[in-house]
Formats: sequence, structure tokens, C-alpha cells
Amino acid sequence: MKRRHLGLLAAALIAAPAFAQAQTVPVGAIEILSGPAAAYGIAIKAGMELALDEINQKGVLGGQKIALTVEDSAGNKDQAINAARKLIGRDKVVAIIGPTLSNEMFAVGPVTNERKIPTLGTSTTATGITDIGPYIFRTSLPESDVIPVTLAKAMTRGVKTIALMYANDDAFSKSGFDVMKAAAEKAGLNIVTIDSFGSKDTDFSAQLTKIKGLKPDAVGISALVEPVSGVLLQARQLGFGKETLFIGGNGSNSPKLGAIAGAAADGLIVGSPWFIGKTTDGNPAFVEAFRAKYKVDPDQFAAQAYDAMKIMAIAIDKAGAADPEKIATSLGKVQFSGVMGPFAFTDHRDPATAAGVVVLTMQDGKFTILQ
Amino acid sequence: MTLPAWLDDLLWTYQTLIHSLGINGLLALAMYVVLACGQLSLGQAAFMGLGAYSGALLTMKAGLPFYLVLPASCVAPVAFALIIGVPTLRLSGVYLAIATIGLGEVLRSAYLNIDALGGALGLNGIPERAETWMIFALLALSLTALVLVGRSRFGRAMEAMREDPTAAAAMGIDVARYHLAALVTSAVLAGIAGCLAAHQSSFIGPNEYGFEPAVTILSFALLGGIGNPFAPIAGAWFLTLLPELMRDLPELRLALNGIIIVLAVLFLPHGLLGWRMRRTPEKLAGGAR
Repeated sequence: MKRRHLGLLAAALIAAPAFAQAQTVPVGAIEILSGPAAAYGIAIKAGMELALDEINQKGVLGGQKIALTVEDSAGNKDQAINAARKLIGRDKVVAIIGPTLSNEMFAVGPVTNERKIPTLGTSTTATGITDIGPYIFRTSLPESDVIPVTLAKAMTRGVKTIALMYANDDAFSKSGFDVMKAAAEKAGLNIVTIDSFGSKDTDFSAQLTKIKGLKPDAVGISALVEPVSGVLLQARQLGFGKETLFIGGNGSNSPKLGAIAGAAADGLIVGSPWFIGKTTDGNPAFVEAFRAKYKVDPDQFAAQAYDAMKIMAIAIDKAGAADPEKIATSLGKVQFSGVMGPFAFTDHRDPATAAGVVVLTMQDGKFTILQ
Repeated sequence: MTLPAWLDDLLWTYQTLIHSLGINGLLALAMYVVLACGQLSLGQAAFMGLGAYSGALLTMKAGLPFYLVLPASCVAPVAFALIIGVPTLRLSGVYLAIATIGLGEVLRSAYLNIDALGGALGLNGIPERAETWMIFALLALSLTALVLVGRSRFGRAMEAMREDPTAAAAMGIDVARYHLAALVTSAVLAGIAGCLAAHQSSFIGPNEYGFEPAVTILSFALLGGIGNPFAPIAGAWFLTLLPELMRDLPELRLALNGIIIVLAVLFLPHGLLGWRMRRTPEKLAGGAR
């Protein structure tokens, strides 16, 4: 440790004249970069860094560059807290982006909020995130904004009765189900049955046979993509056909659905805050730049992170100083139009509009926009 | 008391880590107590969960002060230990391990299905009540107690049971009673650790008390050793610090973590601290016969 610090000191001394005029603004991020859920964090990191390349060409606060430190949480809440404390206590960051999961935010949020460091979630969709405190923001649309749009679309296709299924051992799926149930009740849909399963289950025939007997117009599923694929594959084997509309929660919004379930997933609809083929201002350019830099297609998480980084940069610039308190104030007032669509915060620091939500449908293993 | 700003910042930065050292130390002791009697009982994560949930509910719903919550959080784990203790103590070795893991999973799915406990969403917004001094005072107290017990005739009996339960029983040691006492002690230690953990990270969820944490707690004791009560704590501290020390090497973190543990197990088969406890000579030990 000591040697490393000496090295840094030496580097700082050598570099001092060059940076004499251009200071940097330290911003931290906490994402899952290792372990089973690393795919989310890596996509988010890529999105943030792409945005940072563009931001730092001009800089903020009259030419200062943003220095982003990304810490790994490994999807573990204790490591996420340690990362937050390290970013605030040692790196002296003025704002934090992340963490990746809602559960991690419930652990990290109270710590960053206590230190009055504005914290911006880009992928935390659970209910109650911004209730943690006045310094906790999010750009990710909570499921409660996305699912009503999906259900409304389903109802225009004549859906009146719905069966709900969800994975009850995973916070993301349970929270999505709570929202789906409330939204279905509010929309006046008749819920014929509610069945749960475990995220690691492979046999859903008991639940599906029961649902088939009740003949609902639609089946709503809130679970991660692997169990959703399993449910769809088994449903087709049990003879569910085109007459039943499958409606996915946010977990179904993954290209992996087509890869695992193949033709069984055809016809499923899902609401999404972003879509690769969206023609919003800047989206085609973003997709192209992302492909050029990383040689892969961006996903929803990268797009959300790309916008969030830009929103954070605007907030820092408008704050007039690299001061957490001022950034928190200006962050709440940001008006932005990015790859996700127009964006602003509500008074409660959630996204103000769900106008950017598109309803997608699965066709031959790929998502397309449902017209 | 005012600390200089840099020290205050340093302590704040590593506060959660420091707390984890204490809490994981208590969990390692909970594991040590049963292993030292020769029982491969893996219910510590379940006890921890009971302590965490009951403690969190007592604080949030009943509004009790922490000095009452902490001892009260032992009640549920101890009750559970007594209920499972009688039937499972007939089992030994890997069968006991399987039975205790199974019971832990039963509790986990109970948390998932009880709405008052938040289901998969867990409980959040638990106030931060666990202070650093509290955690380490409890750890020091437990460690001292276990050292004293270990050096007494009870410790000798425990060691005899660990090496050969049949021979120990033939020498007049009531093996079943010792086993139950060890299980209850383990429940108390893990329950307190769970309650402290819940009151320092403001969020708990069912998956923190399933199979994976049970194995993590076992690995604290296995890596450290079970010859003396200091050893499992050393193992816990090592495994807690390792991922944080390697924060600067993000790409290699997981791989290095694994490699270091494998090397430690290969080259230190008796644990990091492999020595056995020294005992008071027989004459001084009083009641020992």
C-alpha cells in the first residue's frame, strides 16, 4: 500500500505542472464487475465510460475532466458498502453512480445519504429506493411506470383475464410481481390465479396445468430471464397457443430470452425503457459508437448508464462547483434528452415521465417494437 | 472524544469492514464451539438469520432499545437449537451436516413466504444501532469465555469427544449433554452476530442465511483451525480482509481469492493457527479427575 501511495505521489509531482490548470472532478461508481451477475455491471461500466469519453472532450465546470473510479461490489451488499465508504472516505468523490442491484442500494443508500453524497441508481427498479433519503436519485424507470404501459397495450388486444406467475425467492422478481398485481387490479383486469415458483426451478407443469384449466386471456410472469424461458418452453409443450398472451416483467427484457426459449417465446410482450432500434435523437449514434468501441451491441443497462453519466455531468456543470450539496440540488433540476428519450426528475427524485417506454414483442427469437 | 479528521475519515471508510471482522469473528466462534466437540453441524447461518430477523423486528416493530434487543435476539435461535438439537444429535458426521443444512433451507423458505418478513425483499431501513465497541466487547467476552472453558475439564472432555466419542462416553462423559450445550452456545453466538449484522447494514434478506453463508462460516473455522478459539477468528479475519485488500486488482480478485485459499488449505492442513490449547496442570484445575 505504502509503496503504491509513494508511486502515486511521485506521479502526481511529475504531472503537477500539466494539471496545474485542469483539475479533475472525482466521481465514483459501484457496480457488479465479478461473480454471476457481472454481465449487468460490465454493461453499465461500458455505457458510463462511453459517455465519459464524450463528456471529457469538453469537460465540465469550464474544462475540468471527470475522473471516474469504478469499484466492484461482486453483488454482495457488504462489499458494496465497503466500496461506497472507500469512494467517499478515501477517493473523496463528489457523487456516486450505482450500485447495480436494488438490494445493494438498500444497503449503500443509507451510508451515502448520511454523508450527503448524491447517489444515482441507473438500474435499481424496486419500489422504495428513493425513500431512503433526499440524496438518493435514480434514472431507471421503476417497474411501476413500465408495467401499466405494457398492460394497457395488452388490453387493446382484448385481454380481460390474467393469471400471474412469479419467482418468490428473488427480490427483483417479487417486487416486479407486487407492481404487476397492483397494476392489473388498477387496470380492471380480472386476476384468475396467482402462482409462485423458485428461481432455480425447472418444472412448472403444476402451475401451468392449473392456469391452462382457468383459460385466462393472458399470463403475466415476473422472474429473471432463465426461469421465464423455462416457463415458456413448458407452456408450449402443455399446449398453450396463440390465444394466450404472455406478458413479461423487466426480467424478460433480455436478448437471452430468444436465445434460450427460441420459438417458444414468440408473441411474448414486454415493456422496456429502451430499445436498440429506437430512433430517439442520439440513439442511432450511441448504438454505432458503442459497437465501434466495444464490438458488441449495447443493452438496456448500457443505455441507461450512458444517459445517467451525461445527466450527472450536466448536474456537476450546473452546480458551478465540485460540491456534493450543490450537485444534489442541481441534479434534481436537470432537464435532459438522451437515448432513452426526454428525462427529468420528479420532486421525489424518480424519473418524471414514462413517455420513453416502448412495448416490445418477441418475433423469431428477436425483440421488435409492437405497433 | 474528538479524533483528528484524517483518523475519523479513515475509521468511517473502513467502519463496515471493521464491524464485519467482529461479527464474522463471532460466527467463527459459533462454528468452533460445535466443531470442537466433533460435530459437523452447519446450522450457524440459520441461527444467525433467526437472530437477525427477530432482532430487526423487535427494533422496528416493538421499538425496544438495543440493550434489550440484543439479548432477546438469542431467544429464537436457542429455542430452535433445542427443538432441532434433540432429534439431530442422534446423527453424526456428514448426516448431521445434511440435516442442519436442510433445516436452514426450511427457515429460508419460511422467510420467503411470510409477508410480514418482507418475502424475498427482506427488511430494510433497520436503524444502525451496533457500535464498534459493542461488537468487539462481545467478541472479546466470548473469546475469553471459550478460552477459560477450553482450559477447564470441559475443554478436555470436548477434545476427547472430538477424537473419539465412544471412548469419551466410556470414560463417563455425557456426550449428548455436551453436544446439546455446544449447540445452544453456538446458537447464542450466531444469534447475537446476526442481530449485530442486521443493525449495522440496515438491510437483511432471506438469501443471506441460506446454504452459501453456512459454507462461508464453516470455511472460517476450517481455514483458521479448530485447535484453539483464536484460530477460527484468524480464519474469519483472513477471509473477510482478503477481498478488500485486493480491491486494487479488480481483474484478478476472484481468482486470487480462490488461489490463496487453496494454497492455505494445502500447506496449512491444521489451519492458520494450528496449535492446540495448553491446559492448566491437573492439580491446579480443581475439579478435573
